[in-house]
Amino acid sequence: MTSTVWLAGESALLPSRIQMAFTLASHVLLVPLGVALPTLTLLMEGIGIARNDPVALKIARRWSVVMAVQFAVGAVTGTILSFEFGILWPRMMGRFGAAIGLGFAIEGLAFFLEAIFIGIYLYGWERLPRRTHFLLGLVLPPAGLLGAFGVLSANSFMNTPGGVTLQAGRLVDVDVVAALFTRALGYEFWHFLIAIYMTAGFAVASVYAVAWLRGRRDHYQRLAFLVPFTVAAALTPVQLAVGDLSARALVGDQPAKFAAIELTWRTREQNPEVIGGLIDDAGDVRFGIAVPVLDSILVGYSPNAVVRGLTDFAANARPSTVEANIAHLAFDAMVGLGLAGAALAAWYFWVLLRRRRLPDSVWFYRLAALAGAGCYLAVEAGWVTTEVGRQPWIVYGLMRVSDAVTSAPASFVWTMLATLVAVYTLIAYFFVTLLLRLAARWRREDEKSPTAPEEGAPYGPRPARFPELGS
Amino acid sequence: MIAFSLLLSVTAYSTAGGVDFGAGIWDLLAGTSARGREARALIDHAMAPVWEVNNVWLAFAIVLCWTGFPIFFQSTFLSLYPLFSLALIGLILRGAFFAFRHVADDPRSHRIADLVFGASSLLTPFFFAASLGAIASGRVGIAGPSQSVLAASFSPMSISFGLVSLAATAFSGASFLVGDARRYGAAELVGYFRRRAVAAALVLIVIGSMALLTIALQAAPLFRSMLAGPGLPFVLVTMILTPVVAVLHRRGTFRWYRVLTVAAVGSMVMAWGFAQSPYLLPGQLTIAQASAPPATQALLLIVGAGLVLFIVPAMALLYYLDQRSALDVPKA
Repeated sequence: MTSTVWLAGESALLPSRIQMAFTLASHVLLVPLGVALPTLTLLMEGIGIARNDPVALKIARRWSVVMAVQFAVGAVTGTILSFEFGILWPRMMGRFGAAIGLGFAIEGLAFFLEAIFIGIYLYGWERLPRRTHFLLGLVLPPAGLLGAFGVLSANSFMNTPGGVTLQAGRLVDVDVVAALFTRALGYEFWHFLIAIYMTAGFAVASVYAVAWLRGRRDHYQRLAFLVPFTVAAALTPVQLAVGDLSARALVGDQPAKFAAIELTWRTREQNPEVIGGLIDDAGDVRFGIAVPVLDSILVGYSPNAVVRGLTDFAANARPSTVEANIAHLAFDAMVGLGLAGAALAAWYFWVLLRRRRLPDSVWFYRLAALAGAGCYLAVEAGWVTTEVGRQPWIVYGLMRVSDAVTSAPASFVWTMLATLVAVYTLIAYFFVTLLLRLAARWRREDEKSPTAPEEGAPYGPRPARFPELGS
Repeated sequence: MIAFSLLLSVTAYSTAGGVDFGAGIWDLLAGTSARGREARALIDHAMAPVWEVNNVWLAFAIVLCWTGFPIFFQSTFLSLYPLFSLALIGLILRGAFFAFRHVADDPRSHRIADLVFGASSLLTPFFFAASLGAIASGRVGIAGPSQSVLAASFSPMSISFGLVSLAATAFSGASFLVGDARRYGAAELVGYFRRRAVAAALVLIVIGSMALLTIALQAAPLFRSMLAGPGLPFVLVTMILTPVVAVLHRRGTFRWYRVLTVAAVGSMVMAWGFAQSPYLLPGQLTIAQASAPPATQALLLIVGAGLVLFIVPAMALLYYLDQRSALDVPKA
């Protein structure tokens, strides 16, 4: 029924949701390196200074360029997102802006700080004393953290709103602290933060895993693999614990979302844990593997623990079966990838601690090369779980997505979506081309005398001379 | 206070971003001659480090707007989404094709990149300024447009604001490029951009006068407030400084011209903002009516204080390093 309304072009709900999903999915890909790469870079620079190792300093210097390039792209996609809140969801911002905007204001401050200090960090290579440069760089990780805090605070507000007083649909009072620190923030923040540090670590390491597989195995490659991989691998078990806490917190905070990700149709004891599978409108699950009573045990540590099902909620206050299936499969994908990452981390530490050296199995490096991409997939899957699982609400329990959407005609939003997809594809192409060129240039330079890598990068110093003139 | 910060970030974006977009406009107009290529190379070089730092001002204005004045934000976007969408598309096309210029290999795709980059430099300032004009016209209603979305978005007021913004960005872009050309010792380009700065100033004076006329005809209360109210000092500053900068460029006096350019262009935005206060939506919604609850405002002020406390010294340091790096070549 609703689909015919969409096709008739009367509501922009469907294209608005797709556009938001598309632009957010793109932006979230840039977040791990944007927030966590500065820490890895500083770690590498710290090693370089402490051991007076020029190779470590060279690696840090090159990473700082990648950091700047991808921060620049993130700045563009982030600006677009902020406008989309107005273009696509004006009514959500109109009603809840005074609360949800708080997190974004903090994020804005952090973003500003990070943009400027990335510039200072790039300019400072070899121009400032090493220690000063390192100390100035130390602003970057907390700035990234603060930014992540702001955005996750806003998202947590959407999941578990708090600190607001509404009168006749109008927001009349805000308790700033309660609105910033809503219940979901406690687990969302740590879960996401660890996720992006893991992703950044595994993604950077995967580049050098590929280099190892291609036979480049000198000090440079080993160091550039070891540092990020160790950080990411050490975080993996922590993430399993925090992820488990997050899922169980949903039981109380957002029971409909929990029912969706576990595909629980009716409230019951001895609820099975369904792995894979799809639910239909009659509540039957097909194709999945059901592990008896496991879900009840995970939720309440007892086979008799009661798990609430989707039918406990009115049909217009719970995810549709399609949405439940999406959230469920995304959740399973995330957990599966997380367990795979934990296995790889266990392998790594086993060899490292028992034999006091890096693994030398080709299969280890093949898997390590895939770990970066796997992490990105897991981040996307986790984000799909939380967003689709919240449907039909944009602010849980207080405002539906359909009440927040713009009154622009659907055709307008479809056109804009098509334009954005085209331009994003282009940006992605430029981004990848640029990184590949940088890599190729650095490989060439390792054979000859090097130039300063950060020159000409976004935020970086311009070349001292103006070479194009007169050519 | 929050409204003033909002106006300040809009002004900052108009001046800093304006310089940037202006450079893009001159890029578009540079043509394919040998000298046009040199001009374009200079623009490329001057813009590389700053072009997206300016976006931060824009993002900040948006955040201030929806947090500090949620109702105003909702009303504006419900009525003017076509303008914002076009400005936004200009913004990303510009970003993408600026990068593409550096990656493009063959002359043909390079040419396309130049063209799209230049054209999008027209799109964004025009439509952002047009949205200010549309707000000033009083056609943005509180719960949606008081007329159709198209009538609210495209009116004599919005179009004249857009045109003023194009002339103003071209003017400030040329003025700053004179400085960049001097810094890199490109004497010929100094003259090239000086002539263009003078021409743009003249165009700005003509279009600005026409815009004032439009305001007088379409929004009489705003006009009165501009000429006999809080907007007056800023109107006067713009009216005096724009010709002054033109004369400085004409005579080749390389002093103060950049500061005065910023003051002239910034005052234009300020003139509108102050003349329209205490209204956010003329005749309908005042700053006080639209304000978020006091606790939210307090937090915004804390964030603003943080901005001044941390960002200003950091920016000063970055500026210092930028100036120094232009002088010496680091040891790699």
